[in-house]
Formats: sequence, structure tokens, C-alpha cells
Amino acid sequence: MEDIYAELLQKTAAGDQLAFKKLYEETSPKLMSLCLRLMRTEALAEDVLQEGFIKVWEKADTFTPGKGRALTWMSTVIRNKGLDKLRSLKTKAAETEIQYEGLEFASQDLQPDNLEDLSQDVKGLMACLDTLKPDQRECILLSYYYGHTHQELADKMGRPLGTIKAWIRRGLEDIRPCLT
Amino acid sequence: MSNLDNKASSTKRYQNPELFEQLAIEYAVGSMQGRAKKRFEALMETHFYLRAVVDAYENKFASLVELLPDAQPSNQVWENIDAHIQISTPQEEKIPWWKTSFFKQGFGMAAMAVAVSAVLLLNPMTFGPVATASAYTAVLESDSNIPMAVTKIQKSDMTLSVDIMKKVNVPDNMELTLWCHPKDGGIPMKMGTISNSGKTNIKISKKEWQGMKDVGYLVISIEHKGENTAQKPTGKILLHGQLSTASLN
Repeated sequence: MEDIYAELLQKTAAGDQLAFKKLYEETSPKLMSLCLRLMRTEALAEDVLQEGFIKVWEKADTFTPGKGRALTWMSTVIRNKGLDKLRSLKTKAAETEIQYEGLEFASQDLQPDNLEDLSQDVKGLMACLDTLKPDQRECILLSYYYGHTHQELADKMGRPLGTIKAWIRRGLEDIRPCLT
Repeated sequence: MSNLDNKASSTKRYQNPELFEQLAIEYAVGSMQGRAKKRFEALMETHFYLRAVVDAYENKFASLVELLPDAQPSNQVWENIDAHIQISTPQEEKIPWWKTSFFKQGFGMAAMAVAVSAVLLLNPMTFGPVATASAYTAVLESDSNIPMAVTKIQKSDMTLSVDIMKKVNVPDNMELTLWCHPKDGGIPMKMGTISNSGKTNIKISKKEWQGMKDVGYLVISIEHKGENTAQKPTGKILLHGQLSTASLN
């Protein structure tokens, strides 16, 4: 699948503000969704999205087409902003104002209509994740999307902390060969 | 064991590919926490290969964003971003590398001296009406605009030399590769493997020399050893720089 945002990101790197605005309009709904899950409140999510897009504007010239897709590069920039902010704020689960549906959006049984829009990258990643036991898969996805600590995962899943750590570690060991 | 030995031993642990790949994937997913995460981030600052492996795994997992349902941010977010970029320094006026702290510390002067020497030594001062290049140079910088290496390409001995001024840490199973990218895009010329410190000389062919006039910039990437069939960089780009004509004849 063609990387539809790469050209906009390259124009952004050249200082093209119209291209940057279009890039924001096209990608911000997915990236806002990621920020909401990480930050748990709408205000914090919008702060991170804003700071993240400013970093995208400033660092767009470091994006290398061919080494990855524009959207994945941007989501890494913005997620790292979110993780930094989470660490500095030490946001607690108790402060959560948004309840989420769990991981249905990343279900193993996505409808063909949903699959059509997905890149080969994410299809490959899902195939790797599907080789894991359901609990391992859930822990890894919750870590990624929600930035949960091991203790938060243990509380959420009602399992001992040691079990959660082992699931994640072994799960990541198991999918490494599939990812490379 | 002294503190120095402890530190060296700890650093050596991270040069074990099995270990650092596992740590890198844990970091990329977000499951590394607390002191372990801080220690790993400190190591990434000084070990390019750790950063490169983490980047690769972050890139793999970042595609998970595609699965998320859309959520519309308020209009205020774009208004704030737009206001920021209107008042901030335009991209074209980013701080040039010669004004960085690296340069103020004097290291940059050394880099500049090497580059200027190359120009002066190679320049025969014979600018004819139809001048052709007899040498090219490039100062290669890190992502943070720190000059790290100087490259010279000379027709006189058909040699490309790369002088790494600050040692680049590379794990045992990886190596540095130099690439010349055409100005107008397309497949880069792979020039070969270079040492992670000091000077490397590479003999170039007549065809490669002729191709230099179309080269826009050079990069050094970190690649897995033995994977030399790639036609473009597959690992992280560590250094990059514009190629300039150093002398004409």
C-alpha cells in the first residue's frame, strides 16, 4: 500500500505550512485516539497531540521515506511525547475520566472491510501477535496503547505481578523472530 | 572490581545482541519501567546501535495506531499549533551547526579546519570557462547537528576518504556503511564499509567518480554484517551531510 502521508511530511520538512495543515487534518483523528488512551483525560491528550505535532513540524526533516511509513513515524514521535508527559505527571488510573472499550478495535477477528484499509506493516504485526497466547497478546497491547505499568496490568487483569512480567517478557521473546 | 571495571562490564553486557534486542523490544512496547528504563535511555545516548534497534522496533509497533478508531480533537488544538509555527523560527532558519555548543567548545573548529584544509590543499585555482570538479568534500553531522566526520573524494588518486573524528560505538554484529544519494532521488551508490574511528580510504571506480557530480548528500548508516545486498540503507542513518565541490579544473 502506498504511503499516502509521506509526501505531505516531506513537504512539511521543506516548510510548506499548507501541507502540514493537510497532514494534521488527515492524521490527527488516529493520533488523538492514541493520545486519549495514553493520557486518559481529554485535556492532557490534546496537550500531547499539540506538543507532538509541533515536534513533527520541527523534526520532519529527520523522517526517512523508505525506512518506515509517515504515520508510524509520527505516532512514535507523539507517543514518546505522551510517555514523557505521563512520567512527569505520574498520572494515576484514579484520575481517568474516559472509560474505554478494551481492545475490541484490535480484535483478532476484524471484518474484511476493516482489513482493506490496513497497511502490510500492521497486518504483519497482527499475524505475529496472533501467534501469542491471548493473555500475552492482551498485556502487550495494553502496554502499547495505554502505557500501563506492570502493576496496573496486574490490577486490571487480576493476576500476580510476577505473572504479568513473565507473560510480557516471554511474549516479546516469542514474537521477536517473527518481527525480524 | 573498580567502578571503572564495573562500568565497562555493564556496557559490555549491552553489546550482547540477544540481550540488547530483548531490552530494545521491551523499551519499544513500553513495558520497560523505572530505573531500568532510565538506565537504558542513558545508554542509548552514547550507543548508536541501541538507539537504532529501538527505532526499528518502535517502527514495527507504531503501525498499531492504524487499528484505533478515530477521535476528533477540538479546533483549538490546530489553532494553537498554527499560532506556534507562525511565531517560531522558520525551518530554513534553524540554528546552523557552526553555532552549536559543539563548535563553541572548539571541536567544531577542528572539523572546519579539516574541511577547509581539504579545500585549500586540493584547489588548484584553475577555474576555466568550462570547469569540472577534481575533488568533493562533505562534513557529516549527527541528528543533533554535531560534525562527526569529514569525507574527501579526489580524482587525482580516485580515492574516497572518511575521517571519523569521534568514535562511533558499533556492536560486533554490525558495521557502518557509506552511501552517496543522488540530488534528484533514486537509488544511492553504496560506497562500502567504513571503520568506526579514524580514517578509511576507499578506491572508487571511474563510473563512481563520474556519478559524484549528481550526488546531493552522503549518509553513514549502521547495518547488520553480511547483509551487503541491500541497494539502500536499511539501518538507522547515523550521520549525514551535503556534498560540495572542493576544487575545479
